[in-house]
Amino acid sequence: MSDDPNDGSRPRLKRDFNPVPGLAAVALFAVLALVFLQASFGEAQGFEQGASITASIGYAMFNIDAGAISGAVVSGEGFVVAFVLIAVALDVAIDGAVFLAKSEDEEGGIGAVLTDGGREIREKLRGGDD
Amino acid sequence: MFAPPEAYLVLSAAVFCIGVFGLLTRKNALLFLMSVELMLNAANINLVAFSFYWGNVTGQTFSLFTMALAAAEVAIGIGIILVLYRNFKDIDVTEATTMRW
Amino acid sequence: MAGIFDFAPAIVLLPFLSFLIAVGTALSGRDLLPKGGAIPGIAATAGSLVLSIAMAATVAGGEVYDATIYTWAVGAVPGAEAPLELTFGVLVDPLSSMMLVIVTLVALLVHVFSLGYMNDDGQTGLPRYYAGLGLFTASMLGFVVADNLLMAFMFFELVGLCSYLLIGFHFREPGPPSAAKKAFLVTRFGDYFFLIGVVAVFATFGTAQFAGTEAAPGFPALAEQALNGEFAANTFLGLGTQAWFTVVGLLVLGGVVGKSAQFPLHTWLPDAMEGPTPVSALIHAATMVAAGVYLVARMYGFYAVSPTALGVIALVGGFTALFAGTMGLVKRELKQVLAYSTISQYGYMMLALGAGGYVAATFHLLTHAFFKALLFLGAGSVILAMHHNENMWDMGGLKDKMPVTYYSFLAGSLALAGIFPFAGFWSKDEILFETLIHGLDGAPLLLLGYVFGLLAVPVTAFYTFRMVFLTFHGEARTAEAEDPVPVRWNVKGPLAVLGVLAAGAGVVNLAPVKYLTGLEVDFLHSWLDGGFTNLTVHHYAEIDPYSSAYIGGEVTTVLLGAAVSLGLALLGLALAYRLYAVPEPVEHTDKLGAAKDLLYDNYYQDEYQVYLANRVVLPLARAADTFDQSVVDGTVNAVSSVSLFSGRRVRRIQTGVVSNYAALVTLGLTVLLVLFGVLGGWLL
Repeated sequence: MSDDPNDGSRPRLKRDFNPVPGLAAVALFAVLALVFLQASFGEAQGFEQGASITASIGYAMFNIDAGAISGAVVSGEGFVVAFVLIAVALDVAIDGAVFLAKSEDEEGGIGAVLTDGGREIREKLRGGDD
Repeated sequence: MFAPPEAYLVLSAAVFCIGVFGLLTRKNALLFLMSVELMLNAANINLVAFSFYWGNVTGQTFSLFTMALAAAEVAIGIGIILVLYRNFKDIDVTEATTMRW
Repeated sequence: MAGIFDFAPAIVLLPFLSFLIAVGTALSGRDLLPKGGAIPGIAATAGSLVLSIAMAATVAGGEVYDATIYTWAVGAVPGAEAPLELTFGVLVDPLSSMMLVIVTLVALLVHVFSLGYMNDDGQTGLPRYYAGLGLFTASMLGFVVADNLLMAFMFFELVGLCSYLLIGFHFREPGPPSAAKKAFLVTRFGDYFFLIGVVAVFATFGTAQFAGTEAAPGFPALAEQALNGEFAANTFLGLGTQAWFTVVGLLVLGGVVGKSAQFPLHTWLPDAMEGPTPVSALIHAATMVAAGVYLVARMYGFYAVSPTALGVIALVGGFTALFAGTMGLVKRELKQVLAYSTISQYGYMMLALGAGGYVAATFHLLTHAFFKALLFLGAGSVILAMHHNENMWDMGGLKDKMPVTYYSFLAGSLALAGIFPFAGFWSKDEILFETLIHGLDGAPLLLLGYVFGLLAVPVTAFYTFRMVFLTFHGEARTAEAEDPVPVRWNVKGPLAVLGVLAAGAGVVNLAPVKYLTGLEVDFLHSWLDGGFTNLTVHHYAEIDPYSSAYIGGEVTTVLLGAAVSLGLALLGLALAYRLYAVPEPVEHTDKLGAAKDLLYDNYYQDEYQVYLANRVVLPLARAADTFDQSVVDGTVNAVSSVSLFSGRRVRRIQTGVVSNYAALVTLGLTVLLVLFGVLGGWLL
């Protein structure tokens, strides 16, 4: 390990590591662990013997009535609305990501103007020189 | 087969705090994203563990949704990092301080 | 039943509509309406008059109306089961329907007269003028039909505002704006007490309804029950029920004294003559100044149970009647004489109310509205003819040149002076008679008021006919009087109508004739005896503290009283005739010397009020201002500087570095966890 910049091209750990704020995370862990270890829980109920967890998740996710299924099923609530909402959220996210990632070279995009904090407009008006 | 619930809680607290630790000690925005993933998955551990504890698949189903949300979050996060890079020529989060007082 | 009463709000809303039209025209700045906006006003007041007459006819059929139209605030009162409601409502009973007819009739005539006085005279700003008239008429009518004290107060203030706006109509001249301000401030001083009185009524009774219902009586009825021990009224300041009612009554009386220009708050009315003459006729003679007297009549049941308040009313009224009359003796301007006579006549009404002469006061209110509006409009006609010169010493000899004005003015003057058989004689005589008979029965205060009232009779007759003789008789003393500007139908018409009324309105209540012949000719008395049982004349007579005594029998007293007052009036008239009905009158009042100056300067009332304002109120206000600037503002500034300073420091936390925020959030979460854990007992 060497800080010599001429030391070849191998990957290096970036020295942006500042451990002092990390103490807060350690403290949080200490408090959390202390709380958890003091708490007492009863015996876990566990899943029904021989039930297929994966199949049960599928039934729950699409609101399929467990009574209509033969075989052991772990009970759960219906999640079809949440499923659709998440689908929409993912769609929005991918659109948003594409929107944000679009190159600035595409001039006139309102997104580019807005996301650069107005610098481009200012440079156009004043002629550069930030 | 199933460890006592305290063990899962401590494990998830550890994962979560590692995420927080990363968030606090690093400046690189990409590392931030990774840390946030850790924190989200700490929540997933709890969801799955308590799904078994209550004998109900709701928690497990929910952890799937959490993962989907994590994917969405990463997509937006990467987009934001791109914009950050474009505007500050760097992805060091401590550089982007123009919105303060 | 969709009866005529459902249209009662329209009486108020029609003039308001004309106000909106006129305001719209005034704001547009263009001459959109013919006659400067007079037509909508005339149409609206005519509509209101028709509706009012219809109301009166229905009331004559024995129906009355009291309905809440809109409840604009409801609040629970601690310790009371019923919530306190603030409402707008309409109360149509004999008293209010009579007043409605008076107000709408005079308003209509004044609108028509304004066509001649304002339009034909080429005045500018007419839409503004008619807007003021419209708003005034609407608010006055709203005041008349108000079914609770708070609503009455609100419209009471509105008419005050309109008075201010209309007095200051010629706002580019120096006099009117300052007169307007004076009128506004002086009446406001009285209204301040009125407002406290309104709050006190609410606090005492939990309602401010005049009439109310069987289940929830109005506050006059509650006051009566409280004194009989059937109702527990809240009293304050550690006073007994009776004493507290007197205090509340006197507080409300403050507004009455201000608005009806009674001593000592009368000083604004003569100055208010700076306004256009039709405005003086409508507002400062017939209607707005009547609002105070009307208010006392409206809540007479409340005053009737408080002998002290009645005594104060009677004394203030009687004193004002004489006091203002003497000041009118020496004035040179036509309208000034009329202004002091107005104050004096409202003094008579107050005297009547204070003396238990409810009908007499209402009767005089009715006749006075007609003959004083007539006199003002007649004066307006003269002033118009004289190119706005109001000095009577510049007139003379107008009798032959303006016959319609002269004869109607003469009718009004005879009525004002109380000469048989004109309207004023009957009403004034009834006031003096009621005061006398109630005073004879062991109420020396009333006898004092009677003496004041009686002394004011020759004074009234003298200044009235001094005015008539100086204006219309003798030789013309200036070129304007030689050749007055002719006036048109729109001036003569209202004068003729009012002239007939001034001469004949007395027939509505010929009380002396009833005493002499036994004929049931006191129509007004039986009119006011109808309607809500708590608001009738005989009910008031039952609860007021007076009873009657006579000098040698009823008929003798009637004849004696009438003869004395008529004799005194004729004496004053004869003196005026002797001194001023000559071709070349001279200022006989100069012979009074210092007394004349005293009268001419209104007993230095304005001076002492200004002195009070400058020497007492101003230093107080300065001290309060200093206190406000230093202590109150200082505290506020200190507090704000603390937050400014700390804000400037605390904002440094907002570094803009995400890691710092995250660290703070983490630390905060940890601290909160520990805190809650320790406090909740699940940690350590």
